[in-house]
Amino acid sequence: MKGSPLKIVVLLLVLVVGISVYFASDRPADSRNSLRSNEKAEFGGALVATYRSEPAGYNSLVSIQAAVDVVRLLTQESLVRVNRATGQLEPRLAGEWTPSADGLTWTLHLREGVRFSDGTPFTSADVVFTFQALYDPAVASEVAGNFEVDGKALVVAAPDAETVTITFPAPYGPGLAILDGLPMLPAHVLGPALASGTFRDAWRAGTPASSVVGLGPFMLVEHRSGERLRFERNDHFWNVDDDGQKLPYLDAIELRVFPEQNAEILQLESGAADIVSDAIRPEDIPALTRRAEAGALQIVNAGISPDADGLWFNLVPDAAATASRPWLATTAFRRALSMAVDRQAIVDTVYLGEAVALFGPVTPGYGDWYVADLPKPPHDLAAARALLAEAGLSDADGDGMLDDASGAPARFSILTQAGHTIRQRTASVVQEELRKVGLSVDIESADPQTLVGRFGRGQYDTIYFGFQAGTIDPVGLGAFWMSSGPLHVWNPGQASPETSWEARIDDLFNQQATTLDRAERIRLFAEAQRLFATELPMIHFAAPRVTIAMNGRVGGARPSVLLPPVLWNAEQLFVATGAPGAPGR
Amino acid sequence: MTPGLAVFLVRRLLAGVLFVFVVSLSALTLASLSPGDATAELAIAGADAETLAAARARLGLDRSPAEQVAAWVAGLSHFDMGQSSRFGRPVSTLVFERALQTGRLAALALLLATAIGLPLGILTGSRPGGGLAGVVAPVSVALVSVPPLVGALGLLLLAATTGWLSVAQGALGVPTLALALPIAAMLERLQSQATREAMAAPDLVAAAARGVPAHRLVWRHAARQSLRPVLGIYGLVIGGLFSGSLAVEFVTSWPGLGRLMYDALVARDLPLIAGCALCGAVLIALGNAVADVMRAVVDPRARSAS
Repeated sequence: MKGSPLKIVVLLLVLVVGISVYFASDRPADSRNSLRSNEKAEFGGALVATYRSEPAGYNSLVSIQAAVDVVRLLTQESLVRVNRATGQLEPRLAGEWTPSADGLTWTLHLREGVRFSDGTPFTSADVVFTFQALYDPAVASEVAGNFEVDGKALVVAAPDAETVTITFPAPYGPGLAILDGLPMLPAHVLGPALASGTFRDAWRAGTPASSVVGLGPFMLVEHRSGERLRFERNDHFWNVDDDGQKLPYLDAIELRVFPEQNAEILQLESGAADIVSDAIRPEDIPALTRRAEAGALQIVNAGISPDADGLWFNLVPDAAATASRPWLATTAFRRALSMAVDRQAIVDTVYLGEAVALFGPVTPGYGDWYVADLPKPPHDLAAARALLAEAGLSDADGDGMLDDASGAPARFSILTQAGHTIRQRTASVVQEELRKVGLSVDIESADPQTLVGRFGRGQYDTIYFGFQAGTIDPVGLGAFWMSSGPLHVWNPGQASPETSWEARIDDLFNQQATTLDRAERIRLFAEAQRLFATELPMIHFAAPRVTIAMNGRVGGARPSVLLPPVLWNAEQLFVATGAPGAPGR
Repeated sequence: MTPGLAVFLVRRLLAGVLFVFVVSLSALTLASLSPGDATAELAIAGADAETLAAARARLGLDRSPAEQVAAWVAGLSHFDMGQSSRFGRPVSTLVFERALQTGRLAALALLLATAIGLPLGILTGSRPGGGLAGVVAPVSVALVSVPPLVGALGLLLLAATTGWLSVAQGALGVPTLALALPIAAMLERLQSQATREAMAAPDLVAAAARGVPAHRLVWRHAARQSLRPVLGIYGLVIGGLFSGSLAVEFVTSWPGLGRLMYDALVARDLPLIAGCALCGAVLIALGNAVADVMRAVVDPRARSAS
């Protein structure tokens, strides 16, 4: 080395000082201490939301990614929507509609003067184009099934530029609510891609933001992979507030990518983010509540989640799990497990009280569809032991643990999701509870891909997992309830129902889906739930409360139990500038 | 360049290419053999068998692992690393963007670690029984033994509670320190040891006896002699930086190669896993090569040893 080492050391020290100054410039502005202002909305400003993943594209017709759906909510618009706070069907691009006498055909009248974000007028041709793309076999849309009735496509026609008729292939209980979530895409932008067979690739991530044209309240202006997506106000957005002023209120929304939930919460606490992607965890509630009491945050209880995890059994005929342990597939065994587990203990220890005990797959979050008087087996260890004896398990060797008829220990495994603390803790509580009645349980944890892979190959005894509801109407749950459904998890994809009770549930489910009378639909679905509670192919223990935390300056939020809990209503969000420390970013 | 050095460089280049190829192929093969695939999210959403089959065919997952690996190698021969299913973008673009971010973080961390570790090592090594050495040595030992993940979490907690460092997105403080501090500690320990040995060498003892001032002995002579063994460790340091960045980038949400690799593994995005492994292996191979060349330049014995 040339030169004096002393000089090098001096240079290095200068470097340290320089780097320190560089870090210091990273410091955030003083943390906010804002109070929630009244709900008088103001225009302008920007909000920052975090999300745990980023979209692989901007076209929700060809992706089921949750992040793509958030982009849809911000940049696109549907003909009608189900208000996630009230559950009511609302007019959007279709201002009004009338049904035919048989209830199969609906005539929708589009709003006048609606324009895409590039200024092009929206017409019925765009509606027809969207349905063409949706059902095009070459597009192979992953969501097409959501917009089919009885496995058949809706028939869409455009008598004139402002009118659309939609004909259902069969009676359909929820009616036009089926259109919720279907964005009306710009034929003038995506038409050539559909014609040339490149529709799937047209709006992949990396596509210039300016080409993503929509009818939603915001426009995508930037996507920096791994960092953020920035959306700015769409001046052509059609909707107005109660005072007749054009929405949205905000100038911009920034979606920052934070893959880890602790990092998200840290962003919220530090004031660097206003909204986080999901409900907060029970363990975060006390600390965030203290921040809320100081005025920096708002904590809102949105209600009971429609999503509840459950323990399902491998009831596939000839499954390896039950070949040598037939008792695993008996109804008595499942009922015994349901009675052996103290649900309140799970509510108290796993959810820290932020949940309610649950006895079926439909939670109180489903409103009218929830059956409050389902059979609720009490936590009764003696009754559980009697049922286990009925299933052929007894303590043959007197070691306190049960054995089967061949003398082999009564042992099975619960496969659950690694890294999902609620699921892992619940599995541990179940393990402990079942030990009390003499059952040995092994817990296996796996990432979702491995878990799904093992589920698909039937390589499991039981699985403790959960699925996300996209809608509150049970018609969206066909994949779970119908014996042919892929999420009929205990025995999926049956060619025809393999048990009489599954055949009956199929029948009830089909009836409720095709009945137009809502009260009758509720009755039919309740009967299906009661049958489920008797057979217990899947045991549910608790349904969590959905607690939403936001910065104190977020105005206009109507938190929902469905995801995304706040951004679904982005056009109504505003910055409460009356709150102290609420500068724009 | 001498013939010996040229042969040495060619050998190192070939070994580097082989290393990169083996690492990438191993990552791709292991990932394709593990249970589950990139369609899991679709399956959890309730997609029917037909939709899942179409998605698998589109992603090339309906082929055997051997065929998938062969297709990847064939694509690589014309610099096509495939398309990421998770991000919907070309793997080469994603990997390049994120490698730049990781490179930025790693370079800053390396500079910081060097700037802290070497001077401190010279100071503590020149006065082994001094007060500074008594304080620095246990701190260094503790920092060396802290895994980057734990260090990053600790720094995040410190940043959040004190406000000394920003936790905002893109803030460099926490991730840089999380990567730099263990390396600085390691460099300090090595430099301290090397300085002690240099100070005990006969020529420096004689110089001291002749009345050469202590600061001149330390900063001009001992420092120069002791830097040589420390240089050799930089290859390992660069490798450690990239492996450490996986945990640090995830915890601190830094959009670099480590986080991209994590996302790819979680999503079973095979082309992206292979692309990240390839890029990481290239960077580690380059780091090792640079360190080897530096050693070979300053110490001819290293060439013959290689």
